[in-house]
Amino acid sequence: MRRTRAGSTGRFWSRVVQLAFLACLLLLWFLATTEWGVNQLLLPNPIAVWDQLLDVVMSGEFVSDLILTLEELAAAFAIAISLGVTLGYLISRSPYLIKVFEPLFAGIYAIPIILFLPLYVLVLGLGPASKVALGATIGFFPIVLNTIAGFGTVDQTLQKAARSMGANGIQMFRYVLFPAALPVMLAGLRIGFTVALLSVIGSETLASLAGLGHRIVNLAESMEMARTFAYIVFVVAIVAVLNTVVSRLEARGRWR
Amino acid sequence: MAVMRADGPHRKSWLQPGASRLAVILALLGAWEIAARLYVDRDFLSPPSIVLVSLGDVLGTPGVPEALGLTLYELTIAFVLSVIIGLTVGLVIGLGRFAHRSFMPIVLLLYGMPQITILPIIILLFGIGAPSKIAFGVSHGVFPITIAVAAGVQNLKAVLLVSARSMGASRWQIFRYVVFPQMVPSFFAGMRLGMTGVLLGVLLAELYVSTAGIGYFTGIFTQNLDSAKLLGLVSILAAMAIVLNEIVRRAEVHYSRWRA
Amino acid sequence: MQSPDPVIRVRNVSHQFGEVGEARYVHALMDTSIDVARGELLCLIGPSGCGKSTLLNIIGGLTRPTTGTVTVSGKPVRGPMPRDLSFIFQENALFPWNTVFENVLLGMTFQGVARAERQDRARRALEAVGLAAFGDHYPAQLSGGMRQRAALARALSLQTDILLMDEPFGALDEQTRIVLGEDLSVLLSESKKTIVFVTHSLGEAVFLADRVAVFSARPGTIKKVIAVEEPHPRKPAFMTAPKFHALRDELYNLLHDEIRKAMSESSGLPRRYAESGGAQA
Repeated sequence: MRRTRAGSTGRFWSRVVQLAFLACLLLLWFLATTEWGVNQLLLPNPIAVWDQLLDVVMSGEFVSDLILTLEELAAAFAIAISLGVTLGYLISRSPYLIKVFEPLFAGIYAIPIILFLPLYVLVLGLGPASKVALGATIGFFPIVLNTIAGFGTVDQTLQKAARSMGANGIQMFRYVLFPAALPVMLAGLRIGFTVALLSVIGSETLASLAGLGHRIVNLAESMEMARTFAYIVFVVAIVAVLNTVVSRLEARGRWR
Repeated sequence: MAVMRADGPHRKSWLQPGASRLAVILALLGAWEIAARLYVDRDFLSPPSIVLVSLGDVLGTPGVPEALGLTLYELTIAFVLSVIIGLTVGLVIGLGRFAHRSFMPIVLLLYGMPQITILPIIILLFGIGAPSKIAFGVSHGVFPITIAVAAGVQNLKAVLLVSARSMGASRWQIFRYVVFPQMVPSFFAGMRLGMTGVLLGVLLAELYVSTAGIGYFTGIFTQNLDSAKLLGLVSILAAMAIVLNEIVRRAEVHYSRWRA
Repeated sequence: MQSPDPVIRVRNVSHQFGEVGEARYVHALMDTSIDVARGELLCLIGPSGCGKSTLLNIIGGLTRPTTGTVTVSGKPVRGPMPRDLSFIFQENALFPWNTVFENVLLGMTFQGVARAERQDRARRALEAVGLAAFGDHYPAQLSGGMRQRAALARALSLQTDILLMDEPFGALDEQTRIVLGEDLSVLLSESKKTIVFVTHSLGEAVFLADRVAVFSARPGTIKKVIAVEEPHPRKPAFMTAPKFHALRDELYNLLHDEIRKAMSESSGLPRRYAESGGAQA
């Protein structure tokens, strides 16, 4: 491996390259739509996108869609946590149950569960219910798997020590099992949150009457490209903010 | 917590976890069957027995086998492309420390982006045919592979490099006999995640396009409230996903054997 | 050796894991009996797999023996007896998410000590092991030796008559082991606690113990009990005394063949090779 500048000078030049890369992309985008004659119906002008973004934010047009999406997310996540943590804890109590259910859950989690969206729509309609149900289903798996892992792998020596000191069942849970499992569980909650959010936006994109995902589809089909791009930027920003908040919360709960 | 327990005769040694798992699945199917027949409106949730029977109908519906075949084709092409691009970019980024520090954050940033938001744009730009599905599949599958390959190359134990160099290995030999084999397990792990990504991307695109392909048929079956056929179609796709995942997973296990 | 009023009485204890014929079957202990007198430090020493840790778990009520009985302070052992005995393990058993002080408090919470007493007892226990200044450190911030001292403080704060120690210094470097061993000897002379101590180290056994019980290879049973007549606290000079070397040699001779037997079983070497002391038959 080539030897390169070590330390802070190396880091500085890396930053420069990154910013240059992004600046180049923006420049190419701008040139493509203004000088090089790429059809504005396919690729809108970055300035136009920015204008539309400002308009969307200032006019508050995004509010009703955002609220709906967030409500769907909240409901889905709440259901996923309740089921995931409860079931995960109960399964973790028996090594046998772990061996039965963990591979089952892991296997289902590996396929794109969004496949089942048409079924949910068939049964629950195009409204928020199907989005919540699918979001809860998808969010359930990382939560239950991590809860099983967290409670199932508590250091045996710690449990032995607590028992030898006379800890009863409740004390064992409160002072040993729960603190030990917490970091892994929180990671599962973070992942569950992220996939539930993506699932909600995804199902709004595929089959919905409202919400942020639907709004993007609507605008794209009306060929309002600049506004479409504006909403894409907006949604990406919202997702980034939410994920960062959740990551910070998770970090707070860690003792490792 | 089996801390305080006399080790008596070993119970349940005949009830292997695998058998239990099967029993759980069968029990769930059984419950579904009963619930669907007795309680729920037949239109909304068909019992598994009906679904099984209608599998034949689903495949017999004109256009369905072609759509399924096309989807499989898209999945394969997208996966192969993801592997080629991912491996190349991953090696380039991984082998150079400066390249790694500069470009890896960009890769990670793009990986974290919710790509579903640009699906409508992709379809508008690339049309409703196979290319857009393949493109969306590649954009989901390429990142895990790139990241895994780069990580695999980076995580080389220094002592192995020193050892090889002390024995007189040339730079090419070091790459071929030390770096590359070291990277292979990560590569296969990345491919497993890449397959999951490709499946997600291609199927999302297919479901979005309601005028052709799988999305067309899911739309028709939903409109006709034909839950049996819909379930059948979705099950076939799920089975496809499971099989493809399993193939890549087995390959990963096989090529990672030297890792403890 | 029978004492008039033993604090711990082990009678004909045998233990096996699993059933004969199963893959996981292990005959860990075979018909073991011993008494432990009040205030003595008994060492259990033997090759790997000889059941000494299993016996300690049985005495402490963490494992129920397949056959045999154990009595502690006159009461039959049926489960953990937190008011009579406390454990110290080789692997660190301090809860990593609590500070040292919180760990000590928690032990008393489990035992059921009144809330008003806990703080004071914890402080005194930490002082006794020299960790008074480290109460609000987390275990990860301490060295291995300090962590074991913290574990000892937790055990001391529980004020049990008996301490069961399972290779407590096994994970530490030799220099730390020596120092901690000396400290333990001082503690013993001051507190009159009864200690059962499992170790692999011959020198440690002779330095610390009043008596050493030597185990045979699996299935383990007590081959011989050696007495070390030397008052506590033992000075570092003891380690160079002729008596020390003589006892250590005696232990070595008793153990050597057992160790080879244990190794041959785990490595699959033919037993003849092991029994002949390693030389080619």
